[in-house]
Amino acid sequence: MRHVKALVLTGFGLNCDYETDYSLKLAGAESHRIHINEIICGDGWGSGVKLEDYHILVFGGGFSWADDHGAGVLLGSKIGFNLREELDRFIGSGKLVIGICNGFQAIVNLGLLPGFNRNYRERRIALLPNASGNFINAWVRLKINPDSPCVFTRGIGEIELPVRHGEGNLYAADHDVQSLFDNGQVVAQYADTSGNPANGQWPANPNGSLRDVAAVCDPSGRIFGLMPHPEAFNHATNHPDWTRQREALRRQGRLLERTEGDGVRIFRNAVDYVRSTLLSLHHSTS
Amino acid sequence: MVARLEIALKETLLDADGAGIARKTRDYLGLNVDSVRVIRVLTFDAALDHDQLERARVDLFTNPVTEESSFASIAPNFDWLIWVGLRPGVRDTAGSTAAEAIEDLLKIRLRPHEGVYTSKLYAVIGSMSRAQAETMAKEILANEIIQQWRVFGLEEWEPAVGIGHVVPRVILNHKPQVGTIAIGSDDELKRISKKRNLALQETDIPVIRQYFLREDILADRSAEGLSLPTDVELEYISQSRSDHCNHNTFRGLFKYVDLSTGRREVVNNLFKTCIEAPTLDIQDQKEWVVSVLWDNAGVARFDDRHYYVVTGETHNSPSNMEAYGGSLTGIVGIYRDPMGTGKGSKLILGTYGFCVGPRDYQGELKPRLHPRRLLDGVIEGVKDGGNKSGIPTPFGQLLFHEGYMGKCLVFVTALGIMPATIGNESSHLKRTSPGDLIIMSGGRVGKDGIHGVTASSEAYTEHTPAGHVQIGDPYTQKKMHDFLLEARDENLIAFITDNGGGGLSSSIGESARFSNGARVDLDKVPLKYEGLDQWEIWISESQERMTVAVKPENLKRFMVLSAKHAVESTVIGEYNDSGYLKLDYQGKTCALIKMDFLQSGFPQWEFEAEWLPPHARGLHEPVLREPTKHGLLLKTMLSRPNLCCRNWVARQYDHEVQGGSVIKPLVGKGRDIPSDAVVLRPILESVRGLAVSQALNPFYSEIDTYHMTAVTIDEAIRRVLCVGGDPDHLGGVDNFCWPTILHHPDENPDGKYKAAQLVRANWALKDYCLAYRIPLLSGKDSMYVDGLLEGPFGERRKVSGLPTLLFTVSSVVRDIRTCVTMDAKFAGDLVYVLGETKNELGGGEYYQLMGKLGLHVPKVDPDVTWPLYRTFHEAIMKGLIASAHTVSRGGLGVHLALVAMAGPLGMEIDLEAVPAADDLPHSAILYSESAGRFIVTVDPEKKQAFEEHFSGMKIGCIGRTTESPLFRVKGRDGDWIMEENVHELKEWWKKPFGHLV
Repeated sequence: MRHVKALVLTGFGLNCDYETDYSLKLAGAESHRIHINEIICGDGWGSGVKLEDYHILVFGGGFSWADDHGAGVLLGSKIGFNLREELDRFIGSGKLVIGICNGFQAIVNLGLLPGFNRNYRERRIALLPNASGNFINAWVRLKINPDSPCVFTRGIGEIELPVRHGEGNLYAADHDVQSLFDNGQVVAQYADTSGNPANGQWPANPNGSLRDVAAVCDPSGRIFGLMPHPEAFNHATNHPDWTRQREALRRQGRLLERTEGDGVRIFRNAVDYVRSTLLSLHHSTS
Repeated sequence: MVARLEIALKETLLDADGAGIARKTRDYLGLNVDSVRVIRVLTFDAALDHDQLERARVDLFTNPVTEESSFASIAPNFDWLIWVGLRPGVRDTAGSTAAEAIEDLLKIRLRPHEGVYTSKLYAVIGSMSRAQAETMAKEILANEIIQQWRVFGLEEWEPAVGIGHVVPRVILNHKPQVGTIAIGSDDELKRISKKRNLALQETDIPVIRQYFLREDILADRSAEGLSLPTDVELEYISQSRSDHCNHNTFRGLFKYVDLSTGRREVVNNLFKTCIEAPTLDIQDQKEWVVSVLWDNAGVARFDDRHYYVVTGETHNSPSNMEAYGGSLTGIVGIYRDPMGTGKGSKLILGTYGFCVGPRDYQGELKPRLHPRRLLDGVIEGVKDGGNKSGIPTPFGQLLFHEGYMGKCLVFVTALGIMPATIGNESSHLKRTSPGDLIIMSGGRVGKDGIHGVTASSEAYTEHTPAGHVQIGDPYTQKKMHDFLLEARDENLIAFITDNGGGGLSSSIGESARFSNGARVDLDKVPLKYEGLDQWEIWISESQERMTVAVKPENLKRFMVLSAKHAVESTVIGEYNDSGYLKLDYQGKTCALIKMDFLQSGFPQWEFEAEWLPPHARGLHEPVLREPTKHGLLLKTMLSRPNLCCRNWVARQYDHEVQGGSVIKPLVGKGRDIPSDAVVLRPILESVRGLAVSQALNPFYSEIDTYHMTAVTIDEAIRRVLCVGGDPDHLGGVDNFCWPTILHHPDENPDGKYKAAQLVRANWALKDYCLAYRIPLLSGKDSMYVDGLLEGPFGERRKVSGLPTLLFTVSSVVRDIRTCVTMDAKFAGDLVYVLGETKNELGGGEYYQLMGKLGLHVPKVDPDVTWPLYRTFHEAIMKGLIASAHTVSRGGLGVHLALVAMAGPLGMEIDLEAVPAADDLPHSAILYSESAGRFIVTVDPEKKQAFEEHFSGMKIGCIGRTTESPLFRVKGRDGDWIMEENVHELKEWWKKPFGHLV
């Protein structure tokens, strides 16, 4: 079987590349950390990286271009001005794009999301500064929309992940928000401890996001953007309650056996999708 | 052509930034501000036509979903409009990224003198006078050291003109030239040194003169066209001999006398006797200690294939001047040390420590920045520095004391990790060799950090660079970091070090010692703007730069990688074995200094140190009768500024980036109680962990700095052991911050006492590092923690900081799955105290609450504590312990409450069961700050195993956790003396700062 290949962008202030790459590898992908300039300039640096050789493109977390002029703005414009056609082809061939935190901010600025009517060049969503006025690092509970077409969240009902951002307050015009809900493009909402939408309450909703929206996808479900960091829950010990869970297990005479973090499920879904859809398709046509 | 673009959020949207400013203006200044809206301003000083500007506006700088923008004024309704921009020469990162994006969009190159500048406009609604609006600008919106502002009222506002065009471009109009300096006599040189602000040490002057008058030196110099020393040379010597670079204080000669006994002792070189000697001794026994005492940071073994790197320092004076820029530059600066250690390491963790005046200070002294505003600034600086670098900042300190109003302390610590081998060689090794090229990578050179004193006394013009203040640029440095790691992994780096204090003069001067010589073309050094003198290029402290030695055959590949990462790298000279450091400018030599000159012949600093023991100074225990309201007392203790919740700081620091967070800064069910230490998994594929803790206890210095140091080391160790750290692997980093110790009858009349305090602290450092087998992997000292503050009558009062030691301990956890947190986990668990509680409230929080100092400061007896710690560690490894917590400032009462609050669970405690002397009163059991103690909770099923494990040691089962949320304490006579709801305790604990975001 051919490998599922993932490309994690690096450079210009992006910074979650190592753990994102690691999570993708745990999920079974052949993952590479690739500097943005290597894709733009192709052979200039001797590596000959081509976007088309990959199945999953990751815009990861970080502070690209220091987030000057709006979070993810200059990353979006850099990719837009230099790789637009390649990106169109990538999406057009049914491949996957995930934008996490700064990457989410970038792909909404690129217009990959919301992608209404498969228009991948229009900005309709913004991620504003947190309503609290400051950066926050906190774990949140996400309620996943079971009716969303998103391929990354299949089989997940709820998941806990950390957020770490200053600009995650999702905003769009009322009718666009309604369309997101109507189309099932709202993949996840911030939820309280009982699993209900947080209703704007801080810190369950850490940024004041409209209707608690934490993650959205395009109508195809193959382009996914979220503020929380699945790659930061790559191991059981990343969870803030893990020592409590371990102690509970001990008292049942058990050990902490399952060490993979829940965040990896999101990447595994992507790998499984590529394997079952894209790779098997290639097989049948070749 | 100059164009000004204004961008604002659509009026219907919440302006969170503006709302925060309005809130702060009301809270801090009591001004009548209803609302503030922020307008971003971009000023383009470039030959761009209308279409190009319009494309930039639409395609780059305006978000169509949320923003509106125009090249005309867009200010909405306002009562006051305040414009704030940077002064010329202050690093404008956003301006640079804007220029970069425009070049990318339009596929053009801006010319050298073109640029983009960012500034902000604040549209304020509120009924204020002009003077009040000015105050708001000065106190909330801007810092005059780095920023300029203008206030517009409605009457004077002309929408067509708007705020006009301000272009803060640096124009020096200066032709660089080398000066020579007369050395006819010592007095003459002294006079010139003073006039030119060379800051040469007085005792160094004869040595410097003798050097330049030596026959052989004169001959060598004459061959290069030099005779009298040049300003480049003397500036270089002055930098290298400064206390900052050379640690003259710690290498000084101390004549110590105990005035109570008359006993005299001469301590020759604190560094050698108290830091180097014990560390070398311990290094011999600990195979995991890889490299100490010479490089930018210490190196220790993490596992078979990796080393970790650790160092710490302070950035006090700059932060005191410009809080945000100072702390930002501090944290970004310390990150370059691990990058420049060995062949270079990847940054994995940063920590912070802020010591400032009381946040609500309302006294009569007038510091330049109110402690509250200063604290806001230093917190934000570390936030931007850490978060934008992609390095977790999971641990830190915040301490309030009026002594820090003279000068605040900003501690920064950094850890990195690197492969154990690069090429076929251990990665901690590096050297320069003749023929290696000298490359400067990263930022460019400006007047940053040159002669702060001179610069601030010059008159400002609109194009004078505010050069002495530096604003760190994490973005530029992050790119450089990524680049250098790739170059390292391809084995392209022969030597690497950072440009910090002293700039190129220090990095090249020190690296050239390996090859024994170097030659530099100063004119090849890339500059931010024209017009720098040669000596300025040589000693500028412009940030985000590394000096790298690269073999000529590796140059091409090195430059390819540099370009890929969009990092500027320039060959500026080469290493040789000439025995000389030679600096050229446009082919003409402007400095020639023998390599060994700075190593030898300079006189040692000398200090008188006079000690009087605490009782001889008249200190005594206070006369206090036992309190009767124990519940109110505990709640009051929990809301003391140095014990209460300060979570707002930790929460705004990214502590999970890099994906290896194991034990976080805030723990417990509510994820809101500070952890004893943090643990991370730096190698994601491995279950090995790195544990880090810190301790800071300057209050004990008021009694005896020896015990202050002992307790601080002891606390840091206990903290790291509590999360699962290994007692056989404890690495230390000592960061001293001390008031001036050189006696002066008028300026520093108690200097001899402060010098004795420093000697005693170092004695304890040596004694306890030996006792606990802690090598000092790194450390720094920062003296002169004093300030002259204006009082109500225009007088100036000297305020000195407490003698302060921040001690950092790193440890390795073999398997992170054994780690433990401090929160009580199950109702019905047994609560134990390990270690003895003594009558040691001196300098502690309880006495402070009573307005007393006391005499009985906590002391550490390693013969008792060390066996307990080893036994404790084995208990953690055996899984006998459900939670573990260090008893530190505030004592058992405060720390039992924290363990319960983290549950959150109730607790029933019997004070009679606490291991303590029979006559110790309740207040002492609850609030004594005796060292060497832990609170642990234990599964009742494991009671027997646990107690057998600790048999023969001073431990006590003092109670149990309960489902009921009551925190109940039984006195020694069997009566309940306290019953408080844990949730109410937490409310009191959160009361002072819990609302801050």
